[in-house]
Order: sequence, then C-alpha cells, then structure tokens
Amino acid sequence: MTDLRDFEADIDRILTRLERAAPFADIVAQRVSGQGMRLDRRSTSPSTQARLQGAALRAWAGSHWIEAASSDLTLPGLEVAVDGIERALEATSVRSDPPGPSAVTDAEAITNPPHPVSELGMEGMIALGKDVLGWATQVPTVRDAVVRIAWEDEERLYINTAGARTYQRITRVNAVVSPLAFDGGRVEFDFLGEGGIGGMERLTFLTEPNVKEVAECSRALLSAKAPPTGAMTVLLDPGVAGTFAHESFGHGTEADQFVRDRSYLKPLLGQVVGPESITIVDNGAYPGGWGTIYFDDEGNPGQRTVLINKGRFVGALHDRETAQVLHARPTGNTRRSDFLSRPFVRMTNTYVEPGDWSLEDLVQEAKNGILLERATSGIEDPLGGQMQLKVKHGRKIENGKLTDLVTSMALSGKVLDFLKGIRGVSSARDFRIEPGYCGKGHSDVVPAGTGGAYLLSNAVVGPA
Amino acid sequence: MISPESATPVSFRVADKLHLGAPWEVFGERARRYELHFNGRVIEVIRGPLVVEGYGVRIFRAHGERTGIGFQASTDATESGIALAVNDATQIATHSDFPAKRVDLPSSAASPGVEAVDPKLWASPLPYLQEYVDALLAPFDSIKDAVPSFGSVRATLTETSIANSAGLHVTYPHTTIALELAVKAFGGSEGVPPGEYWVNQLTRRVDPESAGDPVPSWCSYAEDARRAVAPPNGELPVVLPAHVLAGILPSVLGFRWTGAARLRELAPASGTVVGVPGLNVDDDGRFPWAPNTAPVDDEGVTTRRRTLIGGGAVDELLYDVLHAGAFEVPSSGNGLRGLSFGHRDWLRFVDAPGAGSSTLIVEPGTGGSDAEIAEIASDGIWLQQLGWASPDAISGAFGGEIRIGYRIRNGKLAEPVRGGTIGGTVVALPGTPSLLSCIAAIGSEARLVDDLSSPTLLVKPLTVAGDAGGRPT
Repeated sequence: MTDLRDFEADIDRILTRLERAAPFADIVAQRVSGQGMRLDRRSTSPSTQARLQGAALRAWAGSHWIEAASSDLTLPGLEVAVDGIERALEATSVRSDPPGPSAVTDAEAITNPPHPVSELGMEGMIALGKDVLGWATQVPTVRDAVVRIAWEDEERLYINTAGARTYQRITRVNAVVSPLAFDGGRVEFDFLGEGGIGGMERLTFLTEPNVKEVAECSRALLSAKAPPTGAMTVLLDPGVAGTFAHESFGHGTEADQFVRDRSYLKPLLGQVVGPESITIVDNGAYPGGWGTIYFDDEGNPGQRTVLINKGRFVGALHDRETAQVLHARPTGNTRRSDFLSRPFVRMTNTYVEPGDWSLEDLVQEAKNGILLERATSGIEDPLGGQMQLKVKHGRKIENGKLTDLVTSMALSGKVLDFLKGIRGVSSARDFRIEPGYCGKGHSDVVPAGTGGAYLLSNAVVGPA
Repeated sequence: MISPESATPVSFRVADKLHLGAPWEVFGERARRYELHFNGRVIEVIRGPLVVEGYGVRIFRAHGERTGIGFQASTDATESGIALAVNDATQIATHSDFPAKRVDLPSSAASPGVEAVDPKLWASPLPYLQEYVDALLAPFDSIKDAVPSFGSVRATLTETSIANSAGLHVTYPHTTIALELAVKAFGGSEGVPPGEYWVNQLTRRVDPESAGDPVPSWCSYAEDARRAVAPPNGELPVVLPAHVLAGILPSVLGFRWTGAARLRELAPASGTVVGVPGLNVDDDGRFPWAPNTAPVDDEGVTTRRRTLIGGGAVDELLYDVLHAGAFEVPSSGNGLRGLSFGHRDWLRFVDAPGAGSSTLIVEPGTGGSDAEIAEIASDGIWLQQLGWASPDAISGAFGGEIRIGYRIRNGKLAEPVRGGTIGGTVVALPGTPSLLSCIAAIGSEARLVDDLSSPTLLVKPLTVAGDAGGRPT
C-alpha cells in the first residue's frame, strides 16, 4: 500500500456498518512516514518515521460518544473495532442525533513543495548536519552541538455518515541546533530551530552566520548571571509572545472548557480585555505554519479565528458539540493526537498580530526591566487565569538600553493583568511563527505553531 | 496484517520470519486501551477497545571499532511488512555511526517476579474502570461547593515481548492507569473567582476502595487557591513533597546519571560530592507497582536496583546496551523506550531504546513527618503544586509558577500562596548551591509518585520571586 486511500473501500464498508447501528458515525484513518537524523560530535543517529497506521471509529450513542480504534486497516482488523462499538450501542436505546452540525466537506489537499526535503536523502541530511556541527564548534568553548533535522508526511482520511470525505497529506519539516559550551564542569546551551509545512525552504535558516551566532550565545551563557527577581517590566521576544498567546490565553478560548465551566474567559466574551494594540488569532490555514491543518478531525477546513480583536475578546474555538451548546459554528479546531486518541478542541497556529512599534522604541519605553528570549515551555491555567512561561535566556533593560545577558527564567502573573498592561507590540518585520507541541492536559500532544512580535507588559520573573 | 486475536507474541512471530545476520532485536507490544472521560459526573466519551499491535526491529552492524544501528517500527507483521521494516532498518544502519566496539544482547532473562499487573483491571477493564471512577467521584456528593470539572481515566493493558539473535524470548504483561482530574471549588462570597487543583497520576493499579480518600484534600487545595496571596520575594526555605519532586528529579538525574550523558561529558564523575551527606538515591527497575517496573528492561536485560548517590557522592551510572558497549561495561538494565516528551505509553514500540532511570528512590531520612519538616523550616514556603517544573537536564535548572503553596510561619502551615515563581538548579558543581546540596532535612516516610519514591525534602534556600517589586541580583 502506498497511500492511505488504498484502504478506503474497506473503511467505507465499516462506516456502512456503523451507519446501521448509530444515528451518526465517523472514521479518521491515519498514516505517517518520514525520515530524520540527530548527530553530535560522537554519534550519528539517522531514523525513519515508524510505519504506523490505523483508524479511529466513533459513533453517537444518544448521550455520549463511543469510540474504538485499530492499528489494522484491513477489513478483518477494522471489524474487531466495529464489533466493540456495536456491542456498546446495544446497551443504549436513545437514537437522537449528535449535537452540532455534521461536516459535509468533500475535498482533498496535499502539501506539494517544489523541493521536498526527501530529495536530500539521508546522506544529504547528514552532510548538512555535519556542516552545522562544524560551524558551531568553531566557536571557542563550544565543544559539541546537537543537530536534529526531520521531515514527516502525515495522511489523514476522514469520512462520516453525513457524506463528508476529506483527505489530506501534510509534510512537516523541522530542524534545531543546540551548541553546547563547556567551562570546567559548567555546561550551557542556546538553541535555534524552525519548522513548518513545506520543503527545503524550511532549512535555509541553517547558515554559518546563524549557527555561529547561536553558538556565541551558548558561550556567553557560561558567564551570564541569574536574572533579577520580582515584579517588573517585561519585553517578550516573538516566540515568547506566541507562547503567551497559546498557553496563557489560547487554552482558555477552547470552548470545551466553556462547556465545562472551566475557563476564566467565558464570562468575558465580548468584553474589552486589553488595549487596542493587542490582537490574537488562531489560524489553521496559515500558509506553511507548523500547526496548519487542511481539515480537522470532524471534516471541517482549517480556518482563521480571531480571538482578541484590538483588545476585545471576540472569539472562541469550537468543535461540533461546543458550537451547539454555545450557538456558534465549528471553527476547524477538532484534532486527534493520533488514531488512538480522542478528539478535543485544539489550537493550530496561535499568534499575536504585529503592531507598529520598533524593538528599539519598545526597549526605550520599558526603560528598566527584562527582555525574555527563546521560549522553552509554558503551561495553561484555564480556570485560574494564571500564566507560566519559561525561557532559555534574556537581557536586562537598563535606562532604555539592552545590557547584561541573564540565564534561564520563568515568568508568572495573571493573564488579564498582563493583557491590560500591554504597552506595545512591534511591527511585522519581527513577526515569526515557531514550531512546538501542545498537550491537552498532560497528554494528547499535537503540533502547534506559536508566534508574534516583540510585546511589552509587566509580570513577575524569577530564575528557573 | 496482524490478527488481533493472535496468541503468539508479536515479536516472536516477527523474529521467526527474520533472515538476518546477528546481532538483531525485536521489541513488540500488543496494547488494549480503555478510557472514560467525564465532565462533572457525566460521562462524555467511553473509549475501547483501542487495539494496537506493533514492533520495532533493531539491527547492529560493525563498522570497524564502531557500530551502525538501524531501527524501524511497524504495525504490519506480514512477510511483506517485515521485509519493508528490515529494509528501512538496514538502510539506516549503513548511515548510523556510534562509538560502541561491540554490542552484547542478553540471552536469558529472570523470571517475572515483579508487581506490574492489576489483575482486576486485566480481567474486566471497562467495568472495573467504571467502578473506580464511581468511587473516585462519590465523595464529591457530600462536599459542598466543589466539583470534578474535567477528568479522564485511561488504562493500558499491554503484553510486551522481546526476542533477539542471542536467543532471548521473553514476554510479560503490565498495566498502567493514568488519572487526570481538575477539581473546582466555587461559591461563597460574591465576586470571588473559582479555584482549581489539577491532579495527574500514573500508576500500575487502582483500588476503588480507597479511590476517594484524597478527594477532600484536593478540594481544600482548590478552595485555598481562591484566597491565596502572592508569595514574598527572596531566598527562602522551601518544602518539596514527593509529588513536586516527581516533576523535577527524574528528568535531571535520569539523564545526567547515564552512559548517554557520560558519552557527552555531561555525567558527574564517580565520587563527586553532589549532595548533603545524608542523601542516598537509587534506581530500582523492580520497585513494586511503579509505572516503569518490569522484569526486564526494554532490551531484555534483567532489571535490578543500583545506587546512584551514596552519602551525597556519585556512585553508579545507568547503561543501556549501546552505551554499555561504548564504555565496555555491562548494561545496568536501563534501556528504556519512550523517553522523549509527549511519548505515548501505548506506542512504546515506535521508539528505539535509550539509557534512562526507571524508578528513582530517595531513601527516607531522619526529618520525621511532614509536620516535623515544616517545624524545621520554621519560616518559608510549602510548595504544593508547581505549574510545570520542566527541568533542563543539561544545565540542571528547574522552576515554575506556584499554583498552590503555603507560607510556613513559626513552623506551621499558614496562609495559602499562589503566583510568583520558585526555581533553582537540581545539581551543580561542588561549591555551587543546588537542590541536592542544600537539603536541610529529609523526611522519614517515602511516597511513590510516578517515577519517584521519595520522602518530603526541605531545601534551604531556593529563590522565590513574588510581586513585591524587582530585586536586582
């Protein structure tokens, strides 16, 4: 089998069986392939994406969903899964339709870059990785570097009993280099990474000047001091601003949290939550975005949804059920981590729209504070409205100028206070979207893009 | 394709069809997954059986004094599916380069003898999960103004099998149960927003009889979050219970104390003093009911207990087969799959193994009960929950936002605190303050939480960032 669509006839037969047993059913089949490599000074570790495939089957049981899944896409394998669903449905008597509108989309979309990374072959990826390692280790004290390059083709086929059929093949490419600087027993590193949908153009950032610049930062971190602690003016770099948009604000706009009464944002829909300079968007249709999807796992196209428009909280992210409960439309944000995981309302590419400040003017406006750079993680607090963002390093801002480099830190605060405190966002010149992975709670990880431009506000900062 | 009803373990079936020169290894798993997701007391989704069966084949090819390693995983165990996977692995091995002169695969394994299967769950997964969830949620009926707002219980029942070219054929069953629960407290004074306590647990077994026991405490934490105040700013004694340490210690020690870290000059040298004299830390692959407990590691090597830190000084490191080959030492039984972020415990076969800790054991000390540890702290912070410690295994830095904690005043827990950050470094150069070197008291009673069994620790000091204004360093 060379294409997920080769299994479609058997998958259709299974849907026909489900249609006889339930008022509504759908199937998501998934298949992945790809290659990657990781190298450092001591080892070269190429890899291939697992030959993994399977299907998730879902049927409406009148008051809740029943799901089964199988890693075997042949008819006998899928029948084992559908047998389980039919047994569970026999215990239910309600035949009502499921909540919300069923997608009827009939479309296909395939990533088709002019120069796929697959053309590099494993030899080409390793050769590029060795170039990067060589550039990084030319910087004094940088004795090693970890270089990762990977591409992945992911196919998803969605069909439902309302007539929807979507097929997509998304090619994601990502690379990251982490130069390691040593001084006695102390080790520090900075990193540089990019990722998105596409081909070779996603790797053009791996240039000698860029790699040496990040290696120099690794070296400088060896003598960097701990950050200041306490409440202060904070300037977020575009990646950190994007992590704020996703983790701190975006998770509270996933409308399944509204339905559970588990979002501090629910009562604020339609209200002003920040200055006019702040606009936050989730965009599953962002061209080339790491979190871009052509269709979600309920058959709806990926789309742009404005969450905050010039300071006003105007939109939430919906699946079919939340759309029904909250009188909205599905927004193309229903995603399964894989065929074995349930669907949730999830973000795609979430970002702060650029403003009209320059970085220099924002630093002057801050006067004293700290610039937080290189986002490493963040975590949501959808009910409590607190925020945690972590970064690899930063710079002090003193008397309107960037000064000393400082080591890793965490940012904390109340999201609504942070939004109200925003004093400016830099221009499109600084805008970028970075690749990341997002869990719903502690599991169900999906690719998610986060981005923005430099953003100035206030928060508590401490070493971490 | 694989028949879901096949009786022979998948790795044995695949191994029988391999026509390869030694050495090679096949790791296979057949997993059945069952899940209940609930919103309050209402079931949202019932999932299962979610069936996945697959294998990872790994081949080793000598390149002079070094070794090329090829790995591929697949859910297709037909002749043609195996041929594709082997071809992938062979191609990978030609490009791979690792400094192991030889690879010694195990030829036999110890008898199971570990506690890793919940028999009631294995026999009747969905009804038993339902019984557990009912018992877990029952106490909420009698607790005013607190509800479970979002939760799930996900059980995975797995048959692991490993075969290799040295003649090993081993299979064993195991179960895991992941609980996620958001507890919301509300009501009372007008305008006071609700509070939440977020529970995440991974275990090998559950007991409906005691499932509801911790619920009143969880509700108290959620209620306390509503009236919590910002912490002070400064260097303070901080008490870290086992469930907080579980998010910190395994990520750092589980990498730095391995052959993988040694190869990259990131492991501490044997004998280096990294902690206080009373600190003893082991790794135990057979610790009863721990999520990583198994009779053999993921390369088939018999698991056992190792001393990582004895009397505050570095003792042994942990090795998988490959890194053992690089240093010409035996594997310690620490070849583990699924070490990366976001790994899925029902798809472990898709990952090649690496060196890591199984269950870290911090031995109890003489500090006494939690109340006595607070008494010793005198004035500080009891950290009940961090947002996410997300430690950096290389630099050792950890920290995050206080989601709920308590001020300790005059040796007693006082007002709740929330917001601000707590952070530090887990392990540092001798003479540099770190979590391990600043332990002021080690509690007398250990608790198993995920991959860590530990008593409560008092660390004196850690950096606390509150909202009392910036304090330049």
